[in-house]
Order: sequence, then C-alpha cells, then structure tokens
Amino acid sequence: MINKTNGLNSEPTSLVGNTKLIYASIFISSVMMVVNMYLIFVWAPTERIMGHIQRIFYLHVPMAWLAFIAFFIVFVSGVLYLWKKDFKYDRIASSAAEIGVIFTTIVLITGPIWAKPIWGIWWSWDARLTTTLVLWMIYVGYHIVRSYSSNRAQAATYSAIIGVIGFIDVPIVYFAVDWWRTQHQRLVVGVTSADGSLNDDMRIVLYFSLIAFTALMLCLLWLRVSMKGLEMKLQSVKNNRKNSQPLS
Amino acid sequence: MLALLSTPANNIPYLFFAFALAWVIFFGLLYVTTRRHVEIENEIRILKDELNQGQSNDVE
Repeated sequence: MINKTNGLNSEPTSLVGNTKLIYASIFISSVMMVVNMYLIFVWAPTERIMGHIQRIFYLHVPMAWLAFIAFFIVFVSGVLYLWKKDFKYDRIASSAAEIGVIFTTIVLITGPIWAKPIWGIWWSWDARLTTTLVLWMIYVGYHIVRSYSSNRAQAATYSAIIGVIGFIDVPIVYFAVDWWRTQHQRLVVGVTSADGSLNDDMRIVLYFSLIAFTALMLCLLWLRVSMKGLEMKLQSVKNNRKNSQPLS
Repeated sequence: MLALLSTPANNIPYLFFAFALAWVIFFGLLYVTTRRHVEIENEIRILKDELNQGQSNDVE
C-alpha cells in the first residue's frame, strides 16, 4: 500500500494509467495518416500547371492551420493561467506552443521547397512569409524565456504574457494575402476565398488531411501535457523526499 | 514562366524532400516523446518500490 501523502497516487498516476489509450490514439491517427497519404499521392488529381509539386499543398496548408489552432490554445491557456494561476493551464499552453513551433517549422520548410520550382526562388520577403517567420520567432522566444526563467511561476507568467500578445500575429499572417499584395497565392479555402478556386476532389483531400493531422496533433498534445504533468509531480515527490531525509 | 519552371519531371525530388523532412520531424518528435514517457514511468515505478520498501521497514 502506498502512502497517500507521497504524491504518487494523485493526478499523474492516472495519466500513467492512460498510456494504453495514448498508444491506441497514436495507432488510430497512424491509420488515418496512411489513408491520407494514399489520398494525397494516388487519389488527388494532379494540378494542371504546377504538376505533382502541388501535392505539398495537402501538408503545407493543414500544418499552417493547425499551428494557428495550437497558438490559439496557447492564447486561451495563457489567459486562464494569468487569471487562475493554475499550473495545469501552463502545462497545456507550453505543450501547445511546442507543437505550434514544430508545425510552423514544417510550414517554413515545405513553403520554400514548393516555391523553388514554381516561383524560381526559395524565399521572398513578402507579407505572408515574413509574418509567418515572425510568428515562429515569437514562439521560439516563448520557449527561450521559459528556459531562462528562475522558477516555475516566473516561467509560466512571462510565457503566458508572450503567448497572449504573440497571438496577435496569427490573424495578421492569415489575412496578409488579402491586406497586402504578396508573392504568396491568395486564400483558396475559407470565408474570403474566391468561388471555384479549388477543385472539389482537391478540397476533399485537403479536409481529410486536415482531420488526419488534427488527430496527430491531439495525440502529440495529449502526450506532451500528460508527460509534463508526470515530470512536475515526479520532481515534487523527489524534492519532498530530499527535504524529509535526515541530515547525515 | 510558371509552366516552364514546373514540369512534373523536375518537381518530384522537391515533393519527396518536403514530405520526407516532415515525416522525419514527426517521427523524431514521437520517438523522443514516447521514450521520455517510458523513462518517467520507470522512474515512478522505482520511486513507488522504494516507498513501499520504506513503509514495510517502518512496520517491522
């Protein structure tokens, strides 16, 4: 029987109990991803002018959307942390920020790879590309501030402020192609897109890709949040043990 | 200009590298995260065993 005051019977052990569920969700999202790859490389029609390179679209666009969603989670969790001072929200925010940075990195890698054969250049300092790079830098800064903070409360507070203010850049990135004349193409889906700007089959593949990558993102988020919870609890148990040990 | 730059034949290596890099990042992240998860579970198991041992010694 474990002593109830040792801290190991509370919240994090229940997360350990969900390991099978985490692995099951990873398996489901993997199956969805295999179907997604089939749709992207076999089922989706080849774009008439760009050719096969256009298939990057089914990776590039969902990554960008999911990065926005991840940063929205950072924003909401940041506000909740600043309001309630509960570290649960900090764990969610920092995990979502990690995933947002990774997804934005993929956007910034796949974009130039797509641009090179189409535009003839890897990079252009246009509004969409520049604001996306700024977004990436803001959330890399978020993690740097966390790592330099002297204690957990300071890290959580400063990073929450950065996460809330940094989110201002997300709508700027999204509407940059409408607000300024850019090298980047205009929106092909969404409220402000033109009718008929995307073939119906391409639209289906895009939406399926978005669902599949969302499942992957949720798995990663769940894994990261539960892991951070375990790390925190483990650290506090270790500290308690160290403090309770008699001085030799 | 657009059509000249992008014939399917010279496109495919770019397509391959874009997806390959993305998958390397995904699998790398998944590998690092699951490995850390297993490490933490092991640490908890060891800690629990130590605590159990300590308590049984107290009872004796």
